[in-house]
Amino acid sequence: MKPLLPARLALPLLVLLLGLLALLSLAVGEVRLGPAELLAGLLRRDEFATTILWQIRLPRLGVAMLVGAALAASGLVMQAYFRNSLASPGLLGVSSGGAAGAVIAIGAGWAGASFLFVPLAAIAGALVATGAVVVLARQGAGTERLLLAGIALNALLGAVTSYVLSQATLTYERNAKILFWLLGGLEDRTWEHVAMAAPILLGAALLWPLGRPMDLLSLGWSEAQSLGVDVTRLRRRLLGLSTLLTALATAVAGTVGFVGLVVPHILRLLVGPEHRRLVPLALVGGAVFVIACDLAARAAGGLRLGIVTALIGGPFFLWLLRRQT
Amino acid sequence: MSALTLNDVAVAGRLAPVTLALGPGQTVGLVGPNGSGKSTLMQAAGGLLPYSGRVGWNGQWLADIPMMERGRMTAWVPQEAHFEFGFTVRSVVAQGRYAFGDDEQGVEAALARFDLTTLAHRPVNRLSGGERHRVLLARAIATGASIHLWDEPLGALDPRHGLKVLALADELKHAGGTVMMSLHDLRVAYYLDQVVVLSEGRLQAVGRPHDVLTPELLHDVFGVRAEFVSSLVLKLK
Repeated sequence: MKPLLPARLALPLLVLLLGLLALLSLAVGEVRLGPAELLAGLLRRDEFATTILWQIRLPRLGVAMLVGAALAASGLVMQAYFRNSLASPGLLGVSSGGAAGAVIAIGAGWAGASFLFVPLAAIAGALVATGAVVVLARQGAGTERLLLAGIALNALLGAVTSYVLSQATLTYERNAKILFWLLGGLEDRTWEHVAMAAPILLGAALLWPLGRPMDLLSLGWSEAQSLGVDVTRLRRRLLGLSTLLTALATAVAGTVGFVGLVVPHILRLLVGPEHRRLVPLALVGGAVFVIACDLAARAAGGLRLGIVTALIGGPFFLWLLRRQT
Repeated sequence: MSALTLNDVAVAGRLAPVTLALGPGQTVGLVGPNGSGKSTLMQAAGGLLPYSGRVGWNGQWLADIPMMERGRMTAWVPQEAHFEFGFTVRSVVAQGRYAFGDDEQGVEAALARFDLTTLAHRPVNRLSGGERHRVLLARAIATGASIHLWDEPLGALDPRHGLKVLALADELKHAGGTVMMSLHDLRVAYYLDQVVVLSEGRLQAVGRPHDVLTPELLHDVFGVRAEFVSSLVLKLK
């Protein structure tokens, strides 16, 4: 299929869309801010608007952008790594691993000790899940094997999370926190969460130059190596980066499904399969998608973000599966 | 100096130690029954799977050659051409220039060589099996490598492109290259300078095709009683 968009136009268009959606997301809510109020608030000239923007909406927007960018890029990397366009952090259980790690940390009461513990536990959980998928699915694994591995891991990690839920003598607050992990959302995000997720930018920067070798890897590991790619090193980096990106996103927003599946797929339809283009586009496109879903969630009267992405992603995934076979 | 050296190269459970030295300017056929270790030998020679022993290219041990440099020295064509993503034919052939900083040199010629110019902008995952194989061969040529390892390059090709592959092997040989290809059609082995015979993961014989491919060997290795009647061998004029 021919790319639908001239590649040169795609990035500027997406950045423009991101800007518009970001402004919209800052303007709407329980209190609607007009352009003048928005500007005054951003420049801290109006106390009321300043409070709304700097305390509530800007951190929420920041987390939404980082989470979207991370999940979409992570999905793109996993698809190239496994040579399978149905791979994504949610379906393979990496998000569930991150959530299980976070829930264990909260259930054990470590969360109070340092705000670093929860993301670190999420990274550890995601790493364990990634390791398991790599062992179970191996390279170029067929769709069945990959998805079955994901089903098994999601079920197992879900059981771990449920166990922690049922065992811990939980206060209401802890319970609410754990539910937050299982169904991702962006409520009550603070600048602390933005800081926690900020290493996503570092991950994105490290991923940026790997687009070209990812092209070769996505058509076969041995093939890539025979053409001069240091495959062992590239694989290690890609797995590390995609795990880190998913873990950080999960650590600040819980499990938000399907972003890593839907966004890369739409982008491939738009501009073709070349990763040098797809990496920056996935980072921006993921942010666009999550902000748009968050706007929809808020417009629907406070649905959780995870519900909206699943409502869009679930049918999309089924459509992809049908198209593949 | 040999172009491709294997010193006791073995792959656990699949290939018993093989020692072999192939000179520059040679075409080599790798024959043997299904599962005899042809693909394994070829991938070990290309440094594409874990092996014991030593592999040398153009007088250098493989362990001493940086990854990028390896991409310039050898080209490997896998037996199966599976593409998950819809890269264009041209962009896949251009991957042959990855190790040269994607300079695109020789890409058009490689496309033309395998009649791919008109297919250049088609996605590879929509091509037929034979067309996909031509894409991989064109990519191998685009690398400009001197050592070529082709795993059953003729299996999926029509007569026109099969003959082109053999003509290409000859051309590379006259330019000082070394081409090793695995084969099932023993008639094709007579086109080549050398034959390497494998059976059950062991090296059975190496030599000129007329010397090696005797009725006795065919019986021992392939389990067939056959004799040579005449050779119907085609060659591009």
